[in-house]
Amino acid sequence: MLKIRFHGRGGQGVKTSSRILGRAAFLDGFIAQDSPIYGAERRGAPVVSFTRISSTPITERGFIFDPDIVIVMDETLLNDWLARPLEGIKKGGAVFVNALSEFPPPEGHDDKLFITYDLTGRALEILGKPIISSPAAAAAAKITGLITKSSILEATAEELAELDLKDELVEKNIQLAAEVYDAISTPVINTQESGSITSEVSPLDYEPVSYEEVIHLDIVNLGNSALRRTGNWRIFKPIVDPQKCTGCLVCVVYCPDSCITLDENNKAVIDYDNCKGCMICLRECPLRAIYSVREVRVYA
Amino acid sequence: MRDIKVMAGNVAAVEMMRVEMLTGNVAAAWAARLADVDYIPAYPITPQTEIIETLAKWIGEGVMKAKLVQLESEHSMLTAAGTASLTGARVFTATSSQGLFYGFEMLYNISGWRAPLVLVNVSRGVAAPVTLEPDHNDVLAARDSGFLQFHAETCQDVLDLILLAYRVSEDRRVRLPSIVNMDGFYLSFTREPVNLPSQETVKDFLPPYTPTLPFRASRPVVKGASVLGGHIYTYFKHNIHESMRRAVEVFDEAARRYAELTGRLHKPVEGFCLEDAEYVLVMSNSFTTMGKRAVLKLRERGVPAGLVKIVMYRPFPSTQLVELLKNRRAVAVLDQNISLGMGGIIYQEVAGALYHQRNRPEILMSVIGGLGGKYISPEEFEYIFNALQHPEGREPNTPLFLFRKDELESVKKALGLAGLGGEMG
Ligand code: SF4
Ligand code: SF4
Repeated sequence: MLKIRFHGRGGQGVKTSSRILGRAAFLDGFIAQDSPIYGAERRGAPVVSFTRISSTPITERGFIFDPDIVIVMDETLLNDWLARPLEGIKKGGAVFVNALSEFPPPEGHDDKLFITYDLTGRALEILGKPIISSPAAAAAAKITGLITKSSILEATAEELAELDLKDELVEKNIQLAAEVYDAISTPVINTQESGSITSEVSPLDYEPVSYEEVIHLDIVNLGNSALRRTGNWRIFKPIVDPQKCTGCLVCVVYCPDSCITLDENNKAVIDYDNCKGCMICLRECPLRAIYSVREVRVYA
Repeated sequence: MRDIKVMAGNVAAVEMMRVEMLTGNVAAAWAARLADVDYIPAYPITPQTEIIETLAKWIGEGVMKAKLVQLESEHSMLTAAGTASLTGARVFTATSSQGLFYGFEMLYNISGWRAPLVLVNVSRGVAAPVTLEPDHNDVLAARDSGFLQFHAETCQDVLDLILLAYRVSEDRRVRLPSIVNMDGFYLSFTREPVNLPSQETVKDFLPPYTPTLPFRASRPVVKGASVLGGHIYTYFKHNIHESMRRAVEVFDEAARRYAELTGRLHKPVEGFCLEDAEYVLVMSNSFTTMGKRAVLKLRERGVPAGLVKIVMYRPFPSTQLVELLKNRRAVAVLDQNISLGMGGIIYQEVAGALYHQRNRPEILMSVIGGLGGKYISPEEFEYIFNALQHPEGREPNTPLFLFRKDELESVKKALGLAGLGGEMG
């Protein structure tokens, strides 16, 4: 069995990616299973999805702890301590990163093969949107070495049609998937089925009756949500043009994360540590004083 | 059975008590008043409304200091109750049947928040068909919610169990909410003599409620945070389960103190005529009084009959129950509820508790009776004990459904009036 784990952000098409790959495997005669997992649904928040491909019945479900292949759909996730996309990858496995340029394997991961391709750049050019479900699935398909090009393209068409995408957009996605499938070469994946993936079983004990107090499900650490910087959620970065900004406060009111303030010159200033890149400010600014650029922060 | 003899010697130490004719509803209101509750979120539903009316009257007259607020639904009522309890207020509230179900999801939140309020449920059969009379499908639906549950047989029990519930719920070893259940009509609207302990006695019995990390405007705290990933969820559920388990001991401790003060000793399970009893009926709530009468009648005729009443339904007192039921020849569990498609709810739990007991009773019979407040006549109780003595040919996994000939006639007539066959169809 080959296990593929996709890491991305809400809005990138992470779930659809795992589904396109699942369906393609199914079309190629494999037994497949795909599923997503996510918390409170927010654009930009880390999302994970999974595809299992096997020639014998699949007897696992849920989270893939020991993937053979990991698809990182946003390079900024690589240093996200909650997402931890590289965790558990088998020795000899492959990691695909949607990134502008290549980089050496991060520390402790030189036993894995790293492959990069700028999916977002190509998606912006061809689709006009940073949604990369089909090229990410195509990259995964090629890396498995199991999925035929015709199946991945057919699966792309079927999955996107189910999402009610316009024919024209489906066509462009197929074009993009085909490009990525051809551009990437299949690496030699040499992973072994790992035995145990979790620590030893230790059932919860009953405290003696004399136990004094209960454990409350409370959070008392004040302001700890500020520690969760959402700045690395951005795929695009809003930038205020001070020449145009009149300090009307509209963006200040609309920003869902309260990260815009006015400076001493009455110009909007964005707190990039917490701005999650939702682009609501850009849409609401009556003076079109906010524009966006692609976020590029290569994993260090 | 109340252990009056044990206490008789102590009578001098027990204060002279005021005895009043009270309905179960007014007894509940008295308990809230004596417990000096701070906050009462309310929403009317028959047969519970009298509790709130009584409290509202007292507050209006200035004899009680609490704040009573009528919310727009039971869901808001329970939300207000739980959150107020977390500020450190002692909270009392009451509902019934459909009302309980309308606020149901909040039950799990309240226990998860560790808000030790007391909720009185006045049992009423759940629609459809619509009824106002009692059975226990409403309160038993809440059995898995993390609320302690105490079931009253008499109006006196209603008062006593509410006071005990506050003490156990607020205890730092437990910190979980309680439901005190009374049957609609049979207790809620029935008056009988009730001993009212004095305010001083209750003050002595019930220490002030000191919340852990209460909500304060100046000190934010998140209660019941989200914990994606099942392990943290499991850990907290286990912790609630563990606190529940501990509540049996804490209840016994509180009950002993209460008995010292009032002369009335309550137990999680109570036995009646159990010495040498071979045929035992397990039941709960107000119909138990009628069950006891049936047992006494059988005793007169020399039948070794006995009865076990379940008072504390959560935590389920398995150990105490097994102790009372082992070595009996045959046991019947009378469920005034039905898990449709399965049978009696308490029967399953009693069976589970007895499974590992080597000398468990050979016969464990399930009986369904009293649904929607259907009366259980002496003849029906006798029928149960007869069946226990002659179990031959009875399918063990099929509950005995109590019903009478005259009732069947009446049903046929009603069907006729409804235009469905029968006499007028
Ligand atoms: S909405 Fe536009 S103009 Fe107004 S303060 Fe924000 S950036 Fe400036
Ligand atoms: S509204 Fe603008 S500043 Fe606020 S989070 Fe969204 S993109 Fe960032």
